Amino acid sequence: MKTLLKTVVLLLLSATAIAGIGSLKPYTGDLTPTLELTDLDGKVHNLADYKDRVVMVQFWATYCAPCRTEMPSMNRLQAQLGEENFKILAVDMAETEAEVRAFVEEVKPEFTILMDESGASIGAWQVFAAPSSFIIDTQGKIRYTLFGGVEWDDPELVKQISELIPKK
Amino acid sequence: MRYLLKNLVTLLLAVLLVAPLSAELESELREIEMPDGTDIEIRIFPADGDRLLLGFACDAGAGLHEEETAKALSEDGVEVWMPDMLTGYMLPKLKSSVESIATEDVIALLDMAVAESDKKIYLIASGPDTDLLLRGVALWEELHPDDDRLKGAILLFPRLNEGKPQPGMPPVYKESVGKTKLDLMLFEGGRTPNRWGIKHLSESLSAGGSTVHSKVIPSVRGYFFKREDANLPEETVTFQLAGLIKAGLFYLREPEQ
Repeated sequence: MKTLLKTVVLLLLSATAIAGIGSLKPYTGDLTPTLELTDLDGKVHNLADYKDRVVMVQFWATYCAPCRTEMPSMNRLQAQLGEENFKILAVDMAETEAEVRAFVEEVKPEFTILMDESGASIGAWQVFAAPSSFIIDTQGKIRYTLFGGVEWDDPELVKQISELIPKK
Repeated sequence: MRYLLKNLVTLLLAVLLVAPLSAELESELREIEMPDGTDIEIRIFPADGDRLLLGFACDAGAGLHEEETAKALSEDGVEVWMPDMLTGYMLPKLKSSVESIATEDVIALLDMAVAESDKKIYLIASGPDTDLLLRGVALWEELHPDDDRLKGAILLFPRLNEGKPQPGMPPVYKESVGKTKLDLMLFEGGRTPNRWGIKHLSESLSAGGSTVHSKVIPSVRGYFFKREDANLPEETVTFQLAGLIKAGLFYLREPEQ
């Protein structure tokens, strides 16, 4: 009974944390760093190749609990905005391919996972915590950042990101 | 009857094996009055060596694995002082509690260690408690500019960010960072994003004149020795925590004349 109660409280707390207060912050830092990494199939992805779309570059790790929790909502955000308008490039923070493959098998992200085993991009993008997310417009400029886990299909977040997609 | 006899023999053997060990590992409880009149208890694990390790803001060794680690260190010649700064002020064991502890309390403890021991004094703190340690050392150095009794500090997975880290921006640290010249040894877990900030933090800490060493411990998360969900590598490193601290003390040793 005590264990059950503890579990319920923990679930409620983590739901509150993720549902919560995270919001996109306008970015005032340096120019967008470059990003060229391979995915789990060995395909090279260059951020510059996605200039026709709004891109979310996210730095994450398998040991990061909020990263795990928010990934289903990233799947929903990707589906809602459409592949032609929006691309997620989720950069794993210097873990091994085996670790990432096991995580992907379990959590099933439906977006591009990039490998950075040397951690070079982490320094270039000034990432000191996870998950760290950057929202980049179709001009290749970082417009917003967000630290921490959120529900990415929250209507306010969807609205802010959608506003960056050029009207056709 | 045979079963009873077997149990008695097992019990007797256990008592014989454990009793001498317990006698050897006696710790001593002392009390010190803080500047505001609050009494703080300090648990002392005595040792014959020439080094004294003073911890902040621990709970007199009542926390997970702290007592075992202190015992192992004292057996190895490092005297350990564990003040219980949380209970004294009736503060909960929360990460934020350390902010309520006055810097002057650290000064009182450092003064006591300097006055009552002729050993080389080293300090240790973990997580957000590292801010309290740095605050205290900076003020102590200001009050005792010519005193060289403090030899160094070990910061286990220091958490010194002011506010949330913003992606794409350099970290902003607590005011205590970069204010002391005491030599520092930083340990960080390999499975925490904080490992990517260790270089930047080391540079910022050295702004006060400290020589800063840092080591990343592979396969463990931050707070590894306080975790109730510790995995095998974390349990293994926790079991070896005294050895890790001794390695830290080695890096902080004075250069040979």
